[in-house]
Amino acid sequence: MTIRLKQLLAAILLLIFPVYAVSAGSVTPAYGGSTNLATLDSAPGNGMLADAGTPAATGTNPDANEDLPFLDDDDTVLDVYDPLETVNRGIFWFNDKMYFYVLKPLARGFRYVPEPWRVSLKNFFNNLRAPVTIVNATLQGKFSDAGYELTRFATNTTLGIGGLFDPSKEHFGITPRDEDTGQTLGHYGVGPGPYLVLPFLGPSNLRDTIGTFADSRMDLTYYIWGKDKNNYDYLGAILTRTINNLSLDKDTYEGIKKDALDPYLFVRDAYAQYRQNKVEK
Amino acid sequence: MLKNMLMAITLGTALAFTAYGYAETSPVDTVHESVDAILALLKDESLEQDERRTKIRAHINTRFDFDAMSQRTLATNWKKATKQEKEKFIELFSQLIENTYIGKIEAYTNEKVEYPGEKVKGNKALVETLIIAASADIPVDYKLYKKGDAWWVYDVIIEGVSLINNYRSSYQEIVKKEGFNGLLAKMQEKINELTSEPPAAPADTAAAS
Repeated sequence: MTIRLKQLLAAILLLIFPVYAVSAGSVTPAYGGSTNLATLDSAPGNGMLADAGTPAATGTNPDANEDLPFLDDDDTVLDVYDPLETVNRGIFWFNDKMYFYVLKPLARGFRYVPEPWRVSLKNFFNNLRAPVTIVNATLQGKFSDAGYELTRFATNTTLGIGGLFDPSKEHFGITPRDEDTGQTLGHYGVGPGPYLVLPFLGPSNLRDTIGTFADSRMDLTYYIWGKDKNNYDYLGAILTRTINNLSLDKDTYEGIKKDALDPYLFVRDAYAQYRQNKVEK
Repeated sequence: MLKNMLMAITLGTALAFTAYGYAETSPVDTVHESVDAILALLKDESLEQDERRTKIRAHINTRFDFDAMSQRTLATNWKKATKQEKEKFIELFSQLIENTYIGKIEAYTNEKVEYPGEKVKGNKALVETLIIAASADIPVDYKLYKKGDAWWVYDVIIEGVSLINNYRSSYQEIVKKEGFNGLLAKMQEKINELTSEPPAAPADTAAAS
């Protein structure tokens, strides 16, 4: 078991950077412009509507100390199971250094490439990831989403010149969906398991770590560059993708470092919420 | 260009006041007006950094209900806190939220914002906005509730992550480990850190992208 897990982790560390793994501790998909494909229908908060009919606040200015009971209804605290916090914090620290001393300087250099080109590169890698979304939407019974993604893939690969452009969205208004193996597992009731901070990859949990590995094997990037185990093409492709995404990111992680009382907790809780929201959709 | 914006601000403010006085403004209009006003302030190059921040802050104060936000963030700890502790918390928390929110919105100053819709149920509403950035669209939703004739924001949800829920878990953990005073001390420390810093140019995105 331990050997297998080690192998699995080693494989993950060496071979894959998921699209959302912008870099190191910076992943924080929740707040990252670059982190994922936002979808139009991603508005959360439907829970809010279910609880209407709760006592209304009166028109008076509530005193600071006056309780507002109607606001309590969505006071859920997402309890993140984090038995490995000590180790996780260590890796978080490592990722933080990687981010500021290695990845970010590279990304900053990459910003000299004109932005439209970098957006195209991002589109290109996103397009290669289409099978991940198609397969997982199908597995969750979301057939229309799978169909949309299939259409997107066909359109963008052809009209969009190998995925460099996104005519599906620009001209036909078909926005990207976002499904992955972690969400599929969650959809069928698999809990997140312990929170994990992965070296280089950033926040995850046991379920999503497994999911991320499976996703990497559905991503065409792997089949284009990962065939020959003896060269670094695949690693290069992944690194390019990561640096490029990071160059488009608006310093999300810097913002968190600046604002949060405890960046580790902030990233952890944001990740948990972000993933739970994805699973529920 | 600048003149138009100034016009827009003046008009927007005037409209907002009128709305307060006479008719009810819908939640989506409330958010729309505020976002436009803040973006206009951010783009207004005639303003000094400090002046701009002050103006934005003043605007946010007329839209964000920091009392409600504080209460929801502290949840059970709110009930245990004394009146002084609550007041202190609100004071510090509003500064932190303002900083975070302004920082976020500053990064996207030049992007377009769309308003795909609103959901209203009784005295609560959810307003959906979508920031159209070059590389991805970012959904930012606002939760509002009605107080008197006006709608007040009590939570901001960015890509499915509620700001308040996020603060709640972190703060609860800090209270558990270091007590309520420990939390207040940490917040004060953070604010000192933020205000002692020279006003940073909006990161390095503007420089190179």
